[in-house]
Amino acid sequence: MNKTTRREFIKKSGLTLLSVGLGQQAFLRQVRAASESVLTQAAALSPVDRILVVIQMDGGNDGLNTVIPLTGSAASLYRQYRPTLAIPEENVLPIGTDAAGTLVGFHPSLSPLKDLYAQGHVAVIQSVGYPNPNRSHFASQDIWHTADPQGMKRTGWLGDYLDVAFPSADNPLLAISLAGGRLPLTLRAEQVLVPAISNVANYQFRTQPPGDHENKMRTFLALNRETAPEHVLREQIRLIALDTYESVQMLQSGVQRYTSDPSITYNQQNPLARALQQVAQILAADLGTRILYVSIGGFDTHQSQATPHATLLSRLSEAVAVFYADLVRLGLDDRVLMMTWSEFGRKVLENGNQGTDHGTVGPQFLIGTRVKGGIVGEHPSLRAEDLNPGLGDPKFSARAIDFRSTYATILERWFRVDSREILGGAFELLDVIRA
Amino acid sequence: MPLDEYDKIAHLLRRAGFTAHPDEVEAATARGLQATVEDLLNFEKFPDVPPDPELLAALDLSQDDFNRMRGDFLNKLTRWWLHVMVTTPRPLQEKMVLFWHGLFATSVTGLEFWQQIYLQNENFRGNFDPDTGRLLRPAPGNPFPVGNFRRMLEYLSKDPAMLYWLDNQFNVKKNSEVGSNENYARELHELFSMGVEDVVARVPNYTERDIRQASRALTGWRVLPRAAGFTFPRVFFFDAQRHDFGPYEHLGKRGGTNADFIFDNIVRHRNPGQKQSAVGRFLGYRLFTFFGYEDPEPEIINALADVFDGAHGEEPFNIRNMLRTIFTPGNIVSEAFYSERAFRARIKSPTEYVVSLMRLLTFDRTTGRPDGLQLSSAAMRLLQNAMIQMGQQLFAPPDVSGWREGLAWITTTSVLARFNFANDVLSLGVAQGGIDLARLIAQAGLQEAMQQNRYGEVVDTLARWLWPAPPSAEAREALIAYLQAPIPDVNPSTLATTKIRGLIHLMLAAPDFQLC
Repeated sequence: MNKTTRREFIKKSGLTLLSVGLGQQAFLRQVRAASESVLTQAAALSPVDRILVVIQMDGGNDGLNTVIPLTGSAASLYRQYRPTLAIPEENVLPIGTDAAGTLVGFHPSLSPLKDLYAQGHVAVIQSVGYPNPNRSHFASQDIWHTADPQGMKRTGWLGDYLDVAFPSADNPLLAISLAGGRLPLTLRAEQVLVPAISNVANYQFRTQPPGDHENKMRTFLALNRETAPEHVLREQIRLIALDTYESVQMLQSGVQRYTSDPSITYNQQNPLARALQQVAQILAADLGTRILYVSIGGFDTHQSQATPHATLLSRLSEAVAVFYADLVRLGLDDRVLMMTWSEFGRKVLENGNQGTDHGTVGPQFLIGTRVKGGIVGEHPSLRAEDLNPGLGDPKFSARAIDFRSTYATILERWFRVDSREILGGAFELLDVIRA
Repeated sequence: MPLDEYDKIAHLLRRAGFTAHPDEVEAATARGLQATVEDLLNFEKFPDVPPDPELLAALDLSQDDFNRMRGDFLNKLTRWWLHVMVTTPRPLQEKMVLFWHGLFATSVTGLEFWQQIYLQNENFRGNFDPDTGRLLRPAPGNPFPVGNFRRMLEYLSKDPAMLYWLDNQFNVKKNSEVGSNENYARELHELFSMGVEDVVARVPNYTERDIRQASRALTGWRVLPRAAGFTFPRVFFFDAQRHDFGPYEHLGKRGGTNADFIFDNIVRHRNPGQKQSAVGRFLGYRLFTFFGYEDPEPEIINALADVFDGAHGEEPFNIRNMLRTIFTPGNIVSEAFYSERAFRARIKSPTEYVVSLMRLLTFDRTTGRPDGLQLSSAAMRLLQNAMIQMGQQLFAPPDVSGWREGLAWITTTSVLARFNFANDVLSLGVAQGGIDLARLIAQAGLQEAMQQNRYGEVVDTLARWLWPAPPSAEAREALIAYLQAPIPDVNPSTLATTKIRGLIHLMLAAPDFQLC
């Protein structure tokens, strides 16, 4: 069912509702039934049924205190550069040896992630960044969002993917951002509209008083019904309004299908856990959503970073672990891939305020049942000649991994599309997804 | 079908300003279309909204104190500007400040000193003197917002926020090819004056070398880090030590000792075989897209470019003359402006949406003006937060190319944000700084009509108040049905008010109110 016919249905339903006085609930059921039939068909036609959950670590995560070197020159230099912030060796959770032979381990707050790692569900991609690193939060985030180091693109890499992969854009919930009210640039597309939802419970038409809600919604639909041929812009507004209505109905009725389980507890004090719980609700509703976006802020740790950074990593790993367990329970773990990213790592040398300043490369995590677990690439070298002179952060060297390699891998090996058009070139693929 | 006189004047008021309340249209009709155009254009004869003392006081705080409240400052500044747009007797002035903010898009996200964005806002209003760092109303010599574009380029290039935002602050003499930072020089050509290509001829306007040479001329254009009497960098400083005195090779000309040479070349630049200047066409395109409709025809762009170029003997580079051409009947451009194609064919930006809503709902028929809302009210905070959800945070455009206008404003998120904002702002009581619905109902004479079940009249009156055109038969029928639909558990004494509030909410959420 393409976009026109789906909209055709809503328009006709609207007419039915008003002309024969069909009740609101019956109407909603009709919309829902239609949506489901759309989605069933779409799923059957679609070559892949895979879902990506993006987790942004906003502010520039201190990668060196996330994946910590335990042997070799990196380990000794790390302790030398981080007199107050180095994690004591005995507290580090060793995970294995990287391609250069350096034993590395997780920050102790990543213990739940370590468990997933031990089960083979986590790929740690080391030293991810891009040439000529930009140390401005906004500029570097834009580069990651758009996959364009020139920072000139106005659409995001996943927005471009949606435009390429879903040209008919027939589902208003193809992708959903749960990272506040503003749509992350990553998901900005030319064609596909992605809702930015601060909270699923708030993604509703608010009306006062409550008793007038059905009257208002019925009228809203009637006002957006097709009338005599009008200006093209008015027609577009009308159709998007109907899309909005439909997405609200789909989401609100869909998330009710999620049932909680006593063994799965999302910590409500942890904002990332709350967001991922909503992701689980959306996925359980099976609305055809392919990309979900969440964010955890606070990684810009310029001063007294030890405690806040530990808290953030603990939130991250706790939330990811409970979400993963929930996916297993729901039978969805095979279909979901999680990717973390942060706009940059931080300087090797801690600053005078027991914090760290903006740097360059950092680690990325891919998490999921279909992930080929292990360490990809090498820990950044901390030798003086491998640091940017005067800046004290690792150079983007031949050993580093371009973030667009991660993107290309996800596009090619997970979503199974040609990544070159989206990324503006071919990038080396990483061996991180099981066939 | 050509527009009638009422529609023409209403269309003019909505586009050159923000709204056309029936009373405003009636008053303008009495003056006549021609006189109304001149009133809008010569806005200096009307009083301006005064500056907010709290904002001014914040400019004198120490940097540490200021940084502790800079988020609050930005909120206050945003609310103040919205308040100005709602209450100003100079609507075209504020429309143009909004135009320049979108064209010369500068975001606080790239600024160390957020105070500078306020100075820029006043600069675009003509109230800032970059050479002294002082705010004056007006600042003598400042060409914004409708004066000489050649001089605007100078005032823009001296603007403290701009000098920081695009790094020209750090542009120092390097060699005979390029300055040390070409960021500003690039955007000056690409985004601020002519664009990569001639908008009509579709040929390249300049080369990479022109950018590099221009960056030389802009070396040493910076802001004094400290100036006596000021707490943050706000005084333009020409640093001869850091400046490359040329000569430059730029847009086919050789010479110059300073950026004046670059500005002169830019505004006079014509591509080979082209009758109109590249800048005239670029601005003609941008202005007509902003006031008229998207993708204007080449003849319209060229006619506006001719005005910019002074082809008929007018003063060249004058923005007010271009606006006069758009709005004054009797030429090809205004014919397009007052055409069926232009009528109701602009999607309101979030700013235009909230400002038009506030102007219409707080319009006082006894004074003939909108009251606006209390700056510090819950309603103003609501409005400001809602705009972020709608996709437009003033002073924080997504990047230097500004906001994507038109249909890009309408997304599922923004449809919901507009719907919910209208609901929320109408639900606030007067005590919380909300809208005085009782006065609106009384002034529109709706009470009696409701009591006597004259629902069609209620719908028609509010549609005339809020929508650019009468409702279709279907919409009218749906709105009447809404007024008649019972609400369980509502006190009969408040039912009429509740229904009118609901009707206004629905009309503000309908496609008709998204267009102007």
